[in-house]
Amino acid sequence: MREYLLKVMKPVLALSLFGTILAGCGGGSNDGASSSDSSSSTNSTTGTVKLKGIMLKHPLTQEFSKMEWLTKVEEQVGVDIEWQEISADWDQKKGALLAGGDIPDILIGPNVITDADFAQFTGLFQDLTELISTGGPNIQQMFTEKPETKLIATQLDGKIYGLPKYQRFWPDTVSRQYINKQWLDNLGLKEPTNWDELYNVLLAFKEKDANGDGDVNDEIPMDFAPVGTTGFGYFQPQILLGSLGITLTDSSGQGYFTEGGQIKNYFVDDRYKQFVEFMNKCWQAGLINPEAFTQDYSKFQSVARGSGDKAKVGFSWGWEVTDRFGNTLAPQYESIAPLKVSADSTIKQSYDYDGYSLNFGGNMVVMSAKSKNKEAAMKFINELYNPTVSMQVLFGSLGTNIKDNGDGSYAVLPPTDSQMDPGTWKWTSTWADNGPTFISDSLKLTLGTDMQSVGKQTEPLQAVLSGIDKDNDILPSMFIKYNPEDNNAMVLVNTNMINLAMSKFSQWVTKGGVTKEWDSYVSNIKQMGLDNNLSTMQKYYDDYKSKK
Amino acid sequence: MQATTNHKRSTGEILFDISIIILCVLIFLIVAYPLYFVIIASVSDQTLVSTGKVTLFPRGISFFGYEQIFQDMRIWIGYKNTIIYTVLGTLFNLLLTIPAAYTLSRPEFRARRFLMFFFVFTLFFNGGLIPTYILMKDLSLTNSMWVFILPFAVNVFNLIIARTFFEASLPKEIYESAALDGCTHFKFFFYIAIPLSKSVISVIALYYLVAHWNDFFTGLIYIHSNDLQPLQIILRDILLSNQVFSQGGGSGGSAGGYAQQFADQVKYGVIIVSTLPILIVYPFIQKYFEKGVMIGSIKG
Amino acid sequence: MELKRDYQLWIMIIPAIVVVIIFNYIPMYGIQLAFRDYDFSRGLAGGAWRGLHYFSQFINNYQFWDLMRNTVIISITTIVLGFPAPIILALILNQVKWFRTKKLLQTIVYMPHFISIVVMVGLLNVLLSPNTGILGQLISKLGDTDINLLASTNSFVPVFVISDIWQHAGWNSIIYLAALSTVSPSLYDAAKIDGANKWKMILHIDIPALVPTIIILFILSMGNVLGTGFEKVFLMQNSLNLPVSEVISTYVYKIGILSNQFSYSSAIGLFNTVINFFFLVTMNWISKRNSDISLW
Repeated sequence: MREYLLKVMKPVLALSLFGTILAGCGGGSNDGASSSDSSSSTNSTTGTVKLKGIMLKHPLTQEFSKMEWLTKVEEQVGVDIEWQEISADWDQKKGALLAGGDIPDILIGPNVITDADFAQFTGLFQDLTELISTGGPNIQQMFTEKPETKLIATQLDGKIYGLPKYQRFWPDTVSRQYINKQWLDNLGLKEPTNWDELYNVLLAFKEKDANGDGDVNDEIPMDFAPVGTTGFGYFQPQILLGSLGITLTDSSGQGYFTEGGQIKNYFVDDRYKQFVEFMNKCWQAGLINPEAFTQDYSKFQSVARGSGDKAKVGFSWGWEVTDRFGNTLAPQYESIAPLKVSADSTIKQSYDYDGYSLNFGGNMVVMSAKSKNKEAAMKFINELYNPTVSMQVLFGSLGTNIKDNGDGSYAVLPPTDSQMDPGTWKWTSTWADNGPTFISDSLKLTLGTDMQSVGKQTEPLQAVLSGIDKDNDILPSMFIKYNPEDNNAMVLVNTNMINLAMSKFSQWVTKGGVTKEWDSYVSNIKQMGLDNNLSTMQKYYDDYKSKK
Repeated sequence: MQATTNHKRSTGEILFDISIIILCVLIFLIVAYPLYFVIIASVSDQTLVSTGKVTLFPRGISFFGYEQIFQDMRIWIGYKNTIIYTVLGTLFNLLLTIPAAYTLSRPEFRARRFLMFFFVFTLFFNGGLIPTYILMKDLSLTNSMWVFILPFAVNVFNLIIARTFFEASLPKEIYESAALDGCTHFKFFFYIAIPLSKSVISVIALYYLVAHWNDFFTGLIYIHSNDLQPLQIILRDILLSNQVFSQGGGSGGSAGGYAQQFADQVKYGVIIVSTLPILIVYPFIQKYFEKGVMIGSIKG
Repeated sequence: MELKRDYQLWIMIIPAIVVVIIFNYIPMYGIQLAFRDYDFSRGLAGGAWRGLHYFSQFINNYQFWDLMRNTVIISITTIVLGFPAPIILALILNQVKWFRTKKLLQTIVYMPHFISIVVMVGLLNVLLSPNTGILGQLISKLGDTDINLLASTNSFVPVFVISDIWQHAGWNSIIYLAALSTVSPSLYDAAKIDGANKWKMILHIDIPALVPTIIILFILSMGNVLGTGFEKVFLMQNSLNLPVSEVISTYVYKIGILSNQFSYSSAIGLFNTVINFFFLVTMNWISKRNSDISLW
């Protein structure tokens, strides 16, 4: 969920970063970071160590002083942390802080410091390897139980600067696909199982009065999240590529995917062409929201909520049904299985696999190399990875947010305010997905209703998701670290490629022409240097597999 | 309003007045409607707003957006800080800019061309964020209110505007005749230049005032303590937390749908909350634009 | 002695000079980043010297000419249409004789300036939507077709520029109103006696009074030929208008979010700055020769 939000919010957050970069040519104002070094001192009378920390919290998250579990943990390990709670514009702040060498003892948050930053700002961050072996039993435990976590944490030079998280309960994909069951019933139609059936169903939605309000023209057969200019994202139609056997990973926004151990890019794949042709066919028949390419995210959400109990949208993607369509309309929709291309297709179906990025995360905690109390900081960090503490980091304090059943098992409690949904409550009460967590597979915890319903709506997809060959068909981006030169070179190619690919995609869908322009388009992309990128990625991927 | 009794107004004149009136009405409608829209949108149901159902009157009225904004106690700290930074900052800006502009407007000041280039150069070239940050850190300006006031006290654009005005409204001859009477530059500046230039000083003051008022970048980069943050940063936080809210931050459920409907209200509400105080300032400044405010003194 | 004669002038300008030296000139050593690799451990001035490497990387970029074309088209259109707008507006407002109406109008036209860019673009999306927006519907009725102003490569620049004028013309007219207020009423009286009509008075009294300000602001705006701003273009971008809406600043941003390319983005920034500065210097020179009004 967190990752999905990050993707969605990226344009917003990212705006700020840009300011940083361009500030070089404008003359802006400036500012400064806090008081000099991350000094820390021990209060001799009480024995508590004073530390400074930065935490990237979710904008909904309450003040830390009100988090019971955090106060307890600090007390228990004998530290007193002065927190700077940041909920916006971190990228922009970060640039100046790091370049000015102005960082606190610990920094916490999803990818709070990136691998690229470690490579760039050498010497600023503490290699934790040593500290973990002497004072990090919980972290060692995580590395043993979930070896993936160690892989995520280890940089190319073998050092560990940032610690990962594992949160276990999240599904294998961000996107579920929903169809309006009531409309199907009204028109006496069956759930579509392939593209042809989907087309026919959407056409019926379009031509008949599916919502039964007497107006034949107010139905939007298909809608998807606004396709951005920086690549595809979640809830967008490229997910249909799964029907053609392409396994997307984390929505494969820039086109990269793995097939049989080979890194490929669908933007130059003939199957993508087939998909674009299908989209164009739908567009010409008026089956796609005419504003799909120009609306913003909040309109995309509003439209799906219809008006009153009258639904507007027939087929779409979303995280969870009430989140996507609102409480009133949610019962009309149901989650459906991945589609085949055609009834007689023998292609092994696939889908968008996000299980790694939903359950793991990198660089959740980072320590300053200049900290004067590394042992104390480590003690605090280690405690966060204690499974019962981690559970509270993720869902909230024992007592208010989590019930201790007394028999070694726990249950997430419903919100005290009945107006609030469990998801919001979690984000409000605690660090939630932004915190470092290790939810051990042995922990007995019953989840809240929100996670349960996501689980249930994932079921129709589960057969296909489970059938994905995780060793050869998934691009394990989160486990692969590129060195800065390779990364920079790839970014330049990708930026050019994505600009062309995204504008061509929307142009082909809305105006057609893919068949005619395809060859010159592919050769253009190749000229930009796509093959270099593919071979670079292949090299790193093979290396990753050999180490695994 | 003018004395038209004695001489007959020509048709041309009447046509001219009519076209001015038509133009003004047009301008008024074009500008005012979207503004009006912001106001009604800030109290309307956002599902109706984004699907085009709100056009002339608010619908599904609720004040959720404003409640969200005003229930956050930090907003009052923000107002206080911003007012302090704006007032002190603007005073300091004027103190530096106006005398400098006067100097640069004096034709007998030989260094003026070089100095103008020296200033204009910084309008284009600067070192970027990183060296500037390091400088502020070395000067201990980071995480302090002075970072809003001291740095960049001279905005070169405003300096140029002020200088251009002084050049146009203070002809060389006035100073020369004053100098013959033994008037020094100091005296001339205080007793003649300033009174003659109220309109430009008020424009420059307005420019600085608004720049301070809208400045969130300084707070964003240089301030770490919540107690020092200006209003814009706090409003930005509120705005952002509600945007996340509206985009399924809670991953759905009962309140998710409820919150979604109202969250975008905050976006429009923030505009109003942050703009109203500065709008109140405008009429005070506006009065210095009235015709002939200063000219009399030249002749006198 | 000159210094003795001008010492009071020096006293008036020295504080400004000091502030500018400290806060603008001292950090300028950062400019060399465009010619060096960024090396944190050795400081801004310590990375390996790369000469013009990052500049040629930009100029040889696949998209370079597209970026330049789009950037220049947007900013030139903004200057051509946007520059006269506040002048005309000020002249119109100056003709309004009813005191209250004038005040009200002035206040109204200056308000849009305070709308943040995010909300501005949100407003455009809501109002221009072809299905639900009040303006979008109006325009597609007038045009008798189903045009989506937000989607077309032809409408991006007009929508961008016109909304910019809507937002800032009132604010920018303040400076001209102030300039008009310095016109002596006796000039109008004299013109009236000579039998001049209002049109003539605008032409021969008002406009000449604005000329110095107009020229100076025009020179400054020419120093912005490669500056389109970032946020508004970025927020208005969608995959359909991308062929005309990708400009230098949005491109740098896209490179920047994905990797720490400090040197590359500094080089692009400096490239921009130098071209802008060149235009400013040229304009200033032309103006100085022809009108005796100049920045320096």
